[in-house]
Amino acid sequence: MDKKTTDQIHYLILKTHSLTGVIPVGAFLVLHFSINSLRTVGVWPYQISIDIINNLPFLIWIEAGFIIAPLMFHSLVGFYIYFSGRSNPFRYNYPHNWMYTLQRLSGAVVFAFLIYHLATTVVPKLWYGNTQFEAAPYLIYVMNQEFKSWDGRIIYAIGIVAATFHFSSGLWGFCISWGILIGRRAQTNAGYIFALFGLVLTVMGLSTVVEFSLHPVGVEATEPG
Amino acid sequence: MKGNIVNEKTVKLKIKRQDKPNSKIYWQEFKIPYKERLNVIACLQDIQRNPTTQLGESVNPVTWDCNCLEETCGSCTMLINGKVRQACTALIDSLEQPVILEPMSKFPVVRDLQVDRSRMFENLKKVKAWVEIDGTHDIGEGPIMSDKVRSQRYALSECMSCGCCLEACPQFSLTNNFLGAATFSQVRLFNLHPSGSMLKEERLDAVMGEGGITDCGNAQVCVEVCPKSIPLTESIADIGRQTTLQTLKNIFMK
Amino acid sequence: MAKRKKKIIVIGGGLTGLSLAMKICERNAEVVIVSYQSLKRSHSVCAQGGINAAIDARNEGDSPENHFYDTIKGGDFLAHQPLVRDMCYQAPAIIHLLDRIGVAFNRTGEGHLEFRRFGGTLYSRTAFAGATTGQQLVYALDEQVRRFQHDGSVETLEWHEYLGAVLDSQGICRGAVLQDLRTNTVFTLAGDAVVLATGGPGQVYVKSTNSTVNTGAAATMAYLQGAKYGNGEFIQIHPTAIPGPDKLRLMSESARGEGGRLWVPRKAGDARPPKSIPDRERNYFLEEKFPLFGNLVPRDVASREIHDIVYNQHLGIAGEPMVYLDLTHKSREFLEDRLGGIIDIYKKFTGDDPKDVPMKILPAVHYSMGGLWTDYESDGNGMIEHGSPRNQATSIPGLYAGGEADYQYHGANRLGANSLLSCIYTGLMMCRGIFTYIDNQDKSVDDISSTIFGDAKNHWESRLKEIKAMKGKENPYQLHIELGDIMMSNVLIVRENKKLEKTITAIDDIKTRFKDLNCVDTSDWANPTPSFINQLYCMIELSRVIAKGAIMRDEFRGAHYKPEFDLKQPSKFDPNEYIDYLEKKNDGEVPENAFPKGHLDYMKRFEANNKNWLKSTIAEYKNDKPEISYEPVDTSIVTPRPRKYD
Repeated sequence: MDKKTTDQIHYLILKTHSLTGVIPVGAFLVLHFSINSLRTVGVWPYQISIDIINNLPFLIWIEAGFIIAPLMFHSLVGFYIYFSGRSNPFRYNYPHNWMYTLQRLSGAVVFAFLIYHLATTVVPKLWYGNTQFEAAPYLIYVMNQEFKSWDGRIIYAIGIVAATFHFSSGLWGFCISWGILIGRRAQTNAGYIFALFGLVLTVMGLSTVVEFSLHPVGVEATEPG
Repeated sequence: MKGNIVNEKTVKLKIKRQDKPNSKIYWQEFKIPYKERLNVIACLQDIQRNPTTQLGESVNPVTWDCNCLEETCGSCTMLINGKVRQACTALIDSLEQPVILEPMSKFPVVRDLQVDRSRMFENLKKVKAWVEIDGTHDIGEGPIMSDKVRSQRYALSECMSCGCCLEACPQFSLTNNFLGAATFSQVRLFNLHPSGSMLKEERLDAVMGEGGITDCGNAQVCVEVCPKSIPLTESIADIGRQTTLQTLKNIFMK
Repeated sequence: MAKRKKKIIVIGGGLTGLSLAMKICERNAEVVIVSYQSLKRSHSVCAQGGINAAIDARNEGDSPENHFYDTIKGGDFLAHQPLVRDMCYQAPAIIHLLDRIGVAFNRTGEGHLEFRRFGGTLYSRTAFAGATTGQQLVYALDEQVRRFQHDGSVETLEWHEYLGAVLDSQGICRGAVLQDLRTNTVFTLAGDAVVLATGGPGQVYVKSTNSTVNTGAAATMAYLQGAKYGNGEFIQIHPTAIPGPDKLRLMSESARGEGGRLWVPRKAGDARPPKSIPDRERNYFLEEKFPLFGNLVPRDVASREIHDIVYNQHLGIAGEPMVYLDLTHKSREFLEDRLGGIIDIYKKFTGDDPKDVPMKILPAVHYSMGGLWTDYESDGNGMIEHGSPRNQATSIPGLYAGGEADYQYHGANRLGANSLLSCIYTGLMMCRGIFTYIDNQDKSVDDISSTIFGDAKNHWESRLKEIKAMKGKENPYQLHIELGDIMMSNVLIVRENKKLEKTITAIDDIKTRFKDLNCVDTSDWANPTPSFINQLYCMIELSRVIAKGAIMRDEFRGAHYKPEFDLKQPSKFDPNEYIDYLEKKNDGEVPENAFPKGHLDYMKRFEANNKNWLKSTIAEYKNDKPEISYEPVDTSIVTPRPRKYD
């Protein structure tokens, strides 16, 4: 390949990395947290929404194509980016430099968390064939187990905070690198908005953890079929 | 004798030295008499006049780059107490002692505090940082330009290729080919000029590849360390916008 | 001449070198630019205020002819007039070219070029890019050269030092001896012509507004090889600089061009903070003495007045040799936009913001009007024959000089914002003449025996070896400081023959001590010390030229002020009287009562003095000494007359 082609590929890969972080991965994160937070309203709304999702036609293709593939792409390129730079926030102690460092660290944390999260939820769900109407009780059962102990609570809390930080700070970076936010004041003001957004998302995510920890769903509802 | 030296104020410097590229690194400490308004350059000049370490050992004077001594030429960039900056504006009164001097770490060392920054100038060639003109003969006035655009350009045009932004950038390293903030800002500078913008697409092409604009990690240290307060992050975002639009144009309008 | 492309070696990457290189490339010849540092870093970047061109954008009635007259008058009639006139007529085209290549000149509401006022003129004639005009011009020209570099027609040898010219058996310059400052190897480079665009010699004084590379060594080397050096004693002292232990930093004349005022407290030793001193207790000494030009009198005048205020009237701020440069009456936005660059410098080095407190400034060595003697050819109509091989040629055939390194544009005192103009003008102008010179050569450089080059290389190799072997007691950097102190105390604003005589002895003493130097660094990689010792040698020789020129010139002209020879212009004198006087004299008689009392005597004194001294000083290196002779000045266009600015 000549240099021009490799340059174009490089550019497109990194641009796509940036884009997939927002759509669909980021969008899914918002959707996922929104649905999960229904748990704070009650068990039934939560369960119904899981039922709806798990009864979607071609679900496996949707999940593979719109979630797993972009996520894998985003992660792989993410690690390339992770290793292409060298953080120096102790030498150059500025807020944005810390954000740069945390963005990379949080990405790695989220990746590790997702492996755990998928390995304990979706993979056994598919393995045991708990699909369609079987899915909700199974997943609720898993979550109940997870949030019984502080280990699970802490793992999830870290995963959620890392994800919301990574997403909201990434969204800010996206707006800059795509040229939506140019002026310094625009960048600063938008920064506050994204921080607020990230905070809301964090509260949303953590609320589910808290709800599961305080009020585990009753046994009868969670007994797998 | 002891009593005599108590009141003499001195400046202590600790300097990282290297005789040749790739030769071993060593440190030396110097103590020089204090004067008012002393800057790092004046201290180094003092060492030239009396090249003796604190331990009394006669050594080769420290070598460094400098020229204008008023932060306009961009020569005297080095790490001072760990941070990159111009040595001429580094006033001793505002520095913690011993003052630690090191060469920049992201460019090959030539000797002591001197580094080779030719990469920066090569990058300017890559992005065609110039205005194409028909010739230097008299063909009348230049393009009309609003003073607002002029002042935007002027801010970018103050870049003296000192390399501070690159040294502090976590994405820029000795071995990769990242173009860096200074270069992106020059792309913006020339794309803002009415006749300079005729090469806009070529310039954008040059930053849409490996080492290009997508490799910026948005750490924004560049803008913090720029001695000329050039709005580098704005430049990066603006080039982000220009390349995004260029991509859309390439995909949908060609 | 062989069919190959012409090859020109340009020493120096400042405004002159870059503009010449650009022109050479455009004419399809090869150019090698040799620069002591990376190209963007030459001293031209330090120019702040602007560049003059009589475009008359403000409809004040300005014209190139006015520009020419102001420049000649500013230089006390010591500059060759056709050259200056040609330059002033070319100036508008030069500004437009610079604008076209992207210089961020400040602009008017309609988007045209904005101009401001500068010293020595009553017109707004100075185009500017904030307060870093020199830097902006260097960058724009550097970009054009880079563009040609990209095409392969320019070779740049950065981190290389010019050691001398390669002269053939007939004394024609056939190339240059260079030293690679990284590997410290010496080599020769053959070329059809060599151009010295190497700037001024401010380092002779050590503390000046100049950069550290401004040793004047390259020009001095040419002088030592037999080139004539002109008007060496004319050193401009800029009235406004800030003190520092390593450098005196320039505070641009544009500060006054934009309304800045010089003052001192009326009461000697008044230690009150400046803002608390009421207007009536302030002495705006320039405005009071020169109601017409006010703070914008030429630099020689302003520096002398500051010297007088501080040393004769003892009115310096709190007894120190400094005066206030006050901008605080201007709006912050205006200052930030027009003078941001220098305000930043002042703030960074003193901690005070000139937007809030008046700056404390003092005069400092700034520019050398003198330099290598260069030739020109007038077209007979008060302009220059542009294709003439004589233009900018030094007295060594094949060796050219331009910019601050030459001597012919600024006479006895340079006007502000004319240096950028003369640098670019000479760079652009000399190109055609050099081409004619090359075309006219019977023998090409290709026919020159290689032993000529071999000998030149050997000479310099052994010279540097000798230097490296110096094991005496004197530290070269310390000796440099002492040379500077001598020059600073005696060859500055006020010059007295007694002191100058002592200076010459003192320089001779330095020259003797030079033999006892210790080459403090003998390493063989990127070693700057042998180079510096060689430069120091040149600075010592040049200081002899300056001092000797000064001691011999027994008059007061421009920057060369000997109070002893002040002709004492009567206070109500009008320079037009002198023209009257000359006419009357031409008609046969001058009645004693035709002029106010004392004026006739003064004019006679003035006439006699011009007869003796309106001539260029030429120094030649003979028998290890500068030998001084004089040459007439071309005053064919305007009649020299007394200067007056009030």
